[in-house]
Amino acid sequence: MGIRNLIRRVSLPPPSIRGEDDLFDDEFQRKLEYLAIVSRRVFGGRMRAERRTKKSGSGIEFADHRDYVAGDDFRYLDWNVYQRFERLLLRLYEEEEDLSIYIIVDTSSSMGFGRNKKIVYAKRLGAALAYIGLANLDRVTIVTTTDHVMDRMPPTRGKQRIFKVFQFLRAAHADGTTDLGSALKTFVSQHKRRGLAILLSDLYDPAGFEQGINVLRYNKFEPFVLHIIDRYDAKPALRGDVRVYDCETGDEREVTVTARVLDKYREAYESYLEEVKLFCTAKQVAYVPADLSVPFDEMVLRVLRRGGMVD
Amino acid sequence: MHLTGLPLATLIQIGAVLGALVVVSYILKLKRRPIAVPFSKLWERILREKEATSLFSQLKRLFSLLMQLALLGLLLFALGDPRTAAAVLEGRNLVILVDSSASMRATDGTPTRLDQAREEVRKIIRGMGGSDRALVAQMDASITPMSTMTSDLPTLEGAAASLHGTDTRADFPRALRFALDTLRGHTRPEIVVISDGRLGDARDAYGTVSLGETKLTYVKTGARARNAAISQFSVRRYPLDKSRYEVMIEVANTSEEPLDVELSLFGDNNLVDLTKFRVGPKEKLPRFYPNLSGASRALEARLSLANGERDDLPVDDHAYALLPERRRAKVLCVTKGNTYLEAALLLDEYLDVHTVSPGEYPVLQGEFDVTIFDNVAPPVAKNSGHAFYINPSGKDSPVEVKGTLEDVGFDTWEKKSPLLRWTAIADINIAKANKLAIGKEDKVVGGSFKGPLLVMGRRGASRFVALAFDLRDSDLPLRITWPLLLLNTINDFVEEDTSYISSFRTGDVWRIPVPAESHDGLLTMPDKTTRTIPVLDGHAVFVGQHAGFYNLKAGVVGSEVETEFAANLSDLEESTIGPVAELTVGDVPAGPLEGFKVGVRREIWIYLLAAALIMTTLEWVTYHRRITV
Repeated sequence: MGIRNLIRRVSLPPPSIRGEDDLFDDEFQRKLEYLAIVSRRVFGGRMRAERRTKKSGSGIEFADHRDYVAGDDFRYLDWNVYQRFERLLLRLYEEEEDLSIYIIVDTSSSMGFGRNKKIVYAKRLGAALAYIGLANLDRVTIVTTTDHVMDRMPPTRGKQRIFKVFQFLRAAHADGTTDLGSALKTFVSQHKRRGLAILLSDLYDPAGFEQGINVLRYNKFEPFVLHIIDRYDAKPALRGDVRVYDCETGDEREVTVTARVLDKYREAYESYLEEVKLFCTAKQVAYVPADLSVPFDEMVLRVLRRGGMVD
Repeated sequence: MHLTGLPLATLIQIGAVLGALVVVSYILKLKRRPIAVPFSKLWERILREKEATSLFSQLKRLFSLLMQLALLGLLLFALGDPRTAAAVLEGRNLVILVDSSASMRATDGTPTRLDQAREEVRKIIRGMGGSDRALVAQMDASITPMSTMTSDLPTLEGAAASLHGTDTRADFPRALRFALDTLRGHTRPEIVVISDGRLGDARDAYGTVSLGETKLTYVKTGARARNAAISQFSVRRYPLDKSRYEVMIEVANTSEEPLDVELSLFGDNNLVDLTKFRVGPKEKLPRFYPNLSGASRALEARLSLANGERDDLPVDDHAYALLPERRRAKVLCVTKGNTYLEAALLLDEYLDVHTVSPGEYPVLQGEFDVTIFDNVAPPVAKNSGHAFYINPSGKDSPVEVKGTLEDVGFDTWEKKSPLLRWTAIADINIAKANKLAIGKEDKVVGGSFKGPLLVMGRRGASRFVALAFDLRDSDLPLRITWPLLLLNTINDFVEEDTSYISSFRTGDVWRIPVPAESHDGLLTMPDKTTRTIPVLDGHAVFVGQHAGFYNLKAGVVGSEVETEFAANLSDLEESTIGPVAELTVGDVPAGPLEGFKVGVRREIWIYLLAAALIMTTLEWVTYHRRITV
């Protein structure tokens, strides 16, 4: 398997052939600006720069009352309530802080399988969401993973930083095996500040896609699964006696491909998609299937409509 | 079962090598192509179900190997060309004689009888058995084999396609003898005659053809018999007025019903005469067209039915003839004065006569075709051409004079001599004549019992004719024979022959006079194609097969002489086109065609090859439909 992987690495096409030359061209950037404006106008109610956290503190927005305990700041006592109910209650204000958005891009080999379209799509989708986040003054962090965290762009804010995002994403390419559980464990240990974790992946995880999502859930992150789906994966151009091997793990299986087998494979593929969807629904994880046939800007709008990103 | 192709040992060796190759290829085929997939776990789900059918899958693959080996076996067996013992021993040998004479161009076939015959040939060769062999031959005035004795279908089909019609009669005995010679020593010999049966008796100079053990089969073509033909066509110029000519045409009705016909005569492509008349059943109607003028060279007669329809044989509805070419002959007359001579020479306007006295001879200027020496015999000058001596004497006479003859007449004469054509010399009275002593190679054309009176011969490059008496010593000048004799002699010298053959007959061997120094001639056929023909003894030799006008060019390069001539069918036998129901050779009747079934071949290898093809197709279909993979 090692030799095969070596050959695959050596034979990996350059970006020009992989279709990444014009990944973030002017047209793409114009669309980003459009998406940023649309996100403010249409989804303005939910997409303000200020994010409320559950932490109460020094904000100006009233949140609640609580009983006074010794040591509390007198300045926050609600004297009007004391006058009416003769109870010392302390005014609580919501503390405003920036929302952290983590964009996790799966860069395993399966994302570059075939026509290299999944990784390109994921990169553009990630860049678009990052731009919207940056434009809303959120703290955006981008992470690429395989079976470990491959690379990380430190938290950044302000839409002028989008070019740094482009630069980071351009450098990423699909290579390596998938192990979301292991990689995201590393991720959560590196990021103590909780926030929205947008996972862009085809979820072809031999260890099971659930593990990675659960790691995020268990560590108080708010997972948002953008499932990258290439319909051509369901229709492999195979005929006759072949030996199929996994492009990541190299696991081999002999199979005689007939029309009936292909039908069964298609059914298995659809079943797998359904499993992912059902899992996310059951665990109240925001899930959006990102089909490559849908233009990325349309997909961004769908994500925004889904709303989980900024609520 | 016998293998007539590759021997068994060779087949086994080839089979072992190729079989091993097939098995190795099969094993290599089992090594599967590695294909990358994005997520092999998905395949694992379905493969768990597939494993239950792996045994069936292996059986299918084994079936595929067996099928390939069977395919190889069939091909090897086909290479062996297996045949049954009966087929090897009892193959027929056929000579298919296809009548391509003029009557086979009758239009009551598909569309012609020859086309129908061609189709019959195809049926026969497609119905031949695996070990049968055949030779296709075209039978017309000659016999032409169109193929070798073979069982190869494409060769025989090609031979059938190359059969072509001619305007000749069929030489049946010759064709039969050719077929018998070809079949001599072969097993189950059979002659198949495809014809309308109008072949005449199978008899030639050697007697009636004997078929012996050879089977004779007759395939009849044609159905109808309605035909009117130009059976004779002749033209000649008048000897004494060569600007005019007469034509004889014989029209024959060979059918059993009277026919109203329209006969057109064209001279140099201009209509000269048009006549409508009725010809009774089996009637031959000669028609003369005297005293015609206007045409200088080509004559053509066309016959058609008066109602505008065509009869069944169009070939004999045309006839062609060429008038002898005319040219002005230069004649030098050396005489002291002879009214009879000079008057006779005036009869032919195409003679350019120059008269001189004996003292003025030789004439230094000009070339002459003929010089007439009247009662003189001087040394002959080079420009004098041929010589006609009247009463020669002296040392320069071409024939020596040894005395005189008195009161003589022509007792014997050469009836076929061109000099005496249309003359009557039997009762000419001659008072006095010279007694001529002729040379060894001289020829007496006419004479009395006492001695020769009219002699012809050659001296050097020139010919001469000598009349042994003075005209005034006989009553010859008072007879029509005299100018005819004179003009015949001049015509003979200048090769303007009034017996000119206006047309040749197709199917005959033509001998066309050409310059003696020629080795070959370029013949332009009626259809304007050309071919080179040999020249033998001053005559171009050719077996003409088509009616029409021909042009022959022969001679030394740069000074070729062109000769034109015409050819006609002119054969009443061929024009009688009613097909004959039964054909007999001597007393042996021909039998019907038997044992030829189209579509049934006895070569087993064909079926083996077909089976291999079907199996290949089956393998291809099952492979692409993923049944055996």
